[in-house]
Formats: sequence, C-alpha cells, structure tokens
Amino acid sequence: MSNPEVTSTHSAGAPASNKALTIGLAGIAVTLLGLVLSPVHIVATSWLVGIAYWCAIAIGFLLLTLIHHIFDAQWSTVLRRQFEHALSAFKWLALLFLPLLLITWFGAKDTIWPWMNPAHLLEGEGKTVANDMVYAKKSAFLNLNAFTIFSVLFFVVWIWISSRLRKASFTQDKDGNASWTKMNRMTAGFGIPLVALTLTFAAVYWLKSLEYHWFSTMYGVWYFANCMRGAYSCTILIMVWLYNRGDFKGILHSDHWHSVGKMMFAFTVFWGYISFSQYFLIWNANVPEETFWYNLREYGDWWGIGMVLVFGHFLLPFLLLLSYSRKVNKAPIRRIALWILGVIFIDMCWNILPAVKDAAGNPLPFFSLGLLWALTSTIGIGGICVWSYLKSFPTTKLIPIHDPRITESLTFHE
Amino acid sequence: MAEHPYGLIARFNTPGDLYHAAEKVRDAGYKNWDCLTPMPIHGLDTAMGVKRSIVPRFSLTGGITGFCTGMSMIWWMNAYDYKIIVGGKPLFSPLFAFPVSYELTILFTAFATIGGMFFLNGLTQLYHPVLKYDKIHRATDDSFFIVIETSDPRFNADNTRALLAEAGGLEIAELEA
Repeated sequence: MSNPEVTSTHSAGAPASNKALTIGLAGIAVTLLGLVLSPVHIVATSWLVGIAYWCAIAIGFLLLTLIHHIFDAQWSTVLRRQFEHALSAFKWLALLFLPLLLITWFGAKDTIWPWMNPAHLLEGEGKTVANDMVYAKKSAFLNLNAFTIFSVLFFVVWIWISSRLRKASFTQDKDGNASWTKMNRMTAGFGIPLVALTLTFAAVYWLKSLEYHWFSTMYGVWYFANCMRGAYSCTILIMVWLYNRGDFKGILHSDHWHSVGKMMFAFTVFWGYISFSQYFLIWNANVPEETFWYNLREYGDWWGIGMVLVFGHFLLPFLLLLSYSRKVNKAPIRRIALWILGVIFIDMCWNILPAVKDAAGNPLPFFSLGLLWALTSTIGIGGICVWSYLKSFPTTKLIPIHDPRITESLTFHE
Repeated sequence: MAEHPYGLIARFNTPGDLYHAAEKVRDAGYKNWDCLTPMPIHGLDTAMGVKRSIVPRFSLTGGITGFCTGMSMIWWMNAYDYKIIVGGKPLFSPLFAFPVSYELTILFTAFATIGGMFFLNGLTQLYHPVLKYDKIHRATDDSFFIVIETSDPRFNADNTRALLAEAGGLEIAELEA
C-alpha cells in the first residue's frame, strides 16, 4: 500500500499530457501555416522567440537543480523532483531548434541571422556584410560553422548534465544510496560554470548576433535573469497545480511558498538592476555603435513595449512581491507568476523581433503578423515542453524520498 | 510577596511543554505575556498567537523616503540650485539620478528597518523585572518560562495562577516589579 502523500500513483493523467501534446502540435501547425501568409524570415525569427523563451525556462530549471545541489540545500528538496521532470524538455527543444539550423544551411543563409550571408545588404547602410569592418573583426566567432558546432554543443551540455542529475536522483529513489547525492553535488560543481557559459554564448549567438554591430556585456546576464524568473514562475504554477490536486497537501507549507516568492522577488530586482545598467551605460556613453540598438527599440510601437517592460517586468512585480501575504497565498502568487511568464514573452519579442526590418532599415511594428507567429511558436513549443514534463511526471515518486535532506525539507522552517 | 507584583512566572521543563502551555495562555485571551527560552523554538510565535512584525512598514517608508530624497537632491543640485550641464545630458533626468536614488533607497530602508525594530521591541533595556527572579539564569540554560504580566486586562492573581498550573507550569512565582 503506497502512501498517497509521497507518491504520484494517481498519474498526471494521460488526458493532461495528451492535451499538452495536442496544443503543442496545433501551435506548431499554425506556425507552419504562417509560412503561407508571411515571408519565411519573419516566421523563422518568430520561431526563435519560442525557442529562446522555453530554452530560458528549461535552463532556469537546470540552474535551480544545480544550485540546490551545490549548496546542499534543505528547503527545495521537496520541489527538486519537479525541476528534474522539467529537464526532460531539453531533447525536444534540441529537436525544435533543428529547423533553424536547417534553414540557414539549406535555405537562404541570412534567413534569420544576417551575418551568415556575406552578400547580405545591410539595411539603410548601403553595404554588404562582406564589406563590413565590424563583421570582419567578429568573423572568427560569427561564422556558420562555429555557430552550428556551438549550438549543437549547447544542447549536448544541457542534455548531458540534465540526464546525469535525473539518473542520480531517480535511482536514489529505488536504492536509497546517499552517494547519488554526492554525485549530484559533483555535477553541480562543474555544471554551474558550464551552464553559465553555454547560456551566455547561446544568448549571444542566437539572439544578440541578430544585430551583430551591437556591443553589450550584459546580454548573457539579461538572458540568465529571464531563465531564473521563468523557472521560478513555472515552479509556482506546478506547486499550485499539485497542491490543489492534493499531491502537495501536507508537504508544502507557508515557508516553502515564501522561499520561492522571495527568490522571485530577488530576481525581479536582479532583472531590473541589470536591464537598467545595460541601458544606463549605453545612454550615458552615447556612442552610436551601441545606441542604435535602443533607437530601433524606440521606433514606432516598440517604445510603448519598452515601457511595458520597465513597468510591467520590473515595477509591478516588484511592488506586488513586497508583500508577505501575496507570496504565501496561492491565488495572488499564481497570478503574479502568470504575469511574469507573460512579460518574459514580451521581453523576448522586444529583444528579437526588431531585428526584422523593412527596406528602410526600420523594425517592423510589434503589432504585426510576426507577433502572431511568435505567439503560436511559443504556445507550440510550450505544449511540447509541458507534454515532456507530464510524461516524465508519473515515472517517479513525487518527492525524492531517500534524499538525505528530505526530512529537513518537509519540516523546513525559516 | 511583593505589594505590586509585575506578574506571574512559571517554569517548564521541555520546549514541548512550553509550546502547549503557550497555546493555552493564548487561547485564554492574554495579551501582555511572554516566553523566555534558551534557544529559538520553531513555531512558538504561532503558539503564542504573535502576528507578523510590522517592521516592514518602517522599511517601506524608509525606502520611499530614500528614493524621493535621491531624486529631489539630484534635481535640486543639478537643475535648480546650480544649473550644470554634464556630458551634454539634460539638466535633470531620472536616469542619472537613479543610481543615487536606489542607493539611498537601500540605505534609508536599512536605517528604518533597524530603527523600527529597536523602536518596536523596546531595546535596549537596562532593567527588566524578570532579572530579579532568582531562577532566571535557567532561561539561558535548561528551562523554559512563561511570564504573564499584571498589566494584562485578564490578569487575576488566582485565575492566572490556576491557568499556569493547569498548563503544566512548575514553581509558579510572583515577580517583584
């Protein structure tokens, strides 16, 4: 007789995972239909929004697991199993990233990243990439071979570290051997720098190089901030879902909610801090090589979207998360988590979509077909990620019952 | 017997005894009372019915004051009192006033939090009636105490003593004011 409090014997339900898969495939199908209505470079760049969004959340979960292990943390032990289930999405994300590589290899080289085609005419500058001094200086890093090798490497690293973490944790459930915990601590030791480097280079290659003239040392940190905020927000949604379903009743109490809420607050401030720093340094130095990136994002309706980020991605969650009761009560923290997940999508759009320009070199507006395909891509890829999580969910116990820290986590008190 | 006692003190042997006794005192509706323990006891604040501290209100007030101070200071100095152009920037912009403002937000929040805490908990106190109690040193060693003050509206020498006895209190004694 298994204890209903610690096992997930009543599975997540085939209907739930089937629904996620259906939503995922439908989103992908609608995005593909977009190829009829929009040019391929618009749809492909929108697809990149979905990839960047869900990779951020998956990387966030990877970091949460690694950070948990490196600190030998107590409180997050009851939540860690859900992080590990979420890591199952990496192999699907790799598969879903593949079309972007295939398009650049077999389609027009500059479909998404202009620097991949030496003959690409730089909008509004009257010269090609091949004649561009800035590109020449960066070409050792920005070339299709390096891009491909690195992109494959990113996913190999993420999938490899994830599978080590998952295998150790899941096996410990069966044999109760504490050495699996030590192995995970080792994984965390080399995994954190590896993930930090790969996520930074991924952000630079996939997103920042869309406008390769630009310089910013904050870019990887910006992506990291969204990784953490996305993963914590998803953690809240999972906690609410499993609590309301009954699984987490008697396991989670207010201090667990408060801890996740505090981390959401911390990374809200972190996002605000580094985004402001990036803007402020460029604004203050006022060098055209850097300011053009922000000028593009003040063109047309993008200015308003930037304001949505300032007030919606930072100020509103900051003020809401100041309150203790909003952090520990399920309804408000769930709404805040959903809001943050929504604004991360807008942040990704704001960073990626202005790279698609018209003939005069101005970015296409935010409210255009590109946004629709970004939405359908994000829903589609998200459906696959959620499906992957739900498929992994019933294969193990709800919490790592043989983790040396599990009792401390269950009785955790701030 | 003191003429105007400060309150009644009762000793408990274990954290568990104290915890359950605290619940009884809380449920009896007492307000002016406290627990003395050699170490923090998780969940005791709930057992005592202590609400969350209002120190964060002081912190928020301090933070808002700090932010406004920073913004208005930079505006007053650079754009009003002694107009000066730096690096071709406007005389005032919230952007360059921001670093100073958030530093002051943090500084004033910290001051208000520390100050608010001392204001609310009444520290530093040089004297407290429990210090006269001859067994009080055990509150830093192996014993747990509950003190109910006579200033509590529900305090009644006989009933309160009976409540402490019923809750398992040992060596119930009166405290000299």
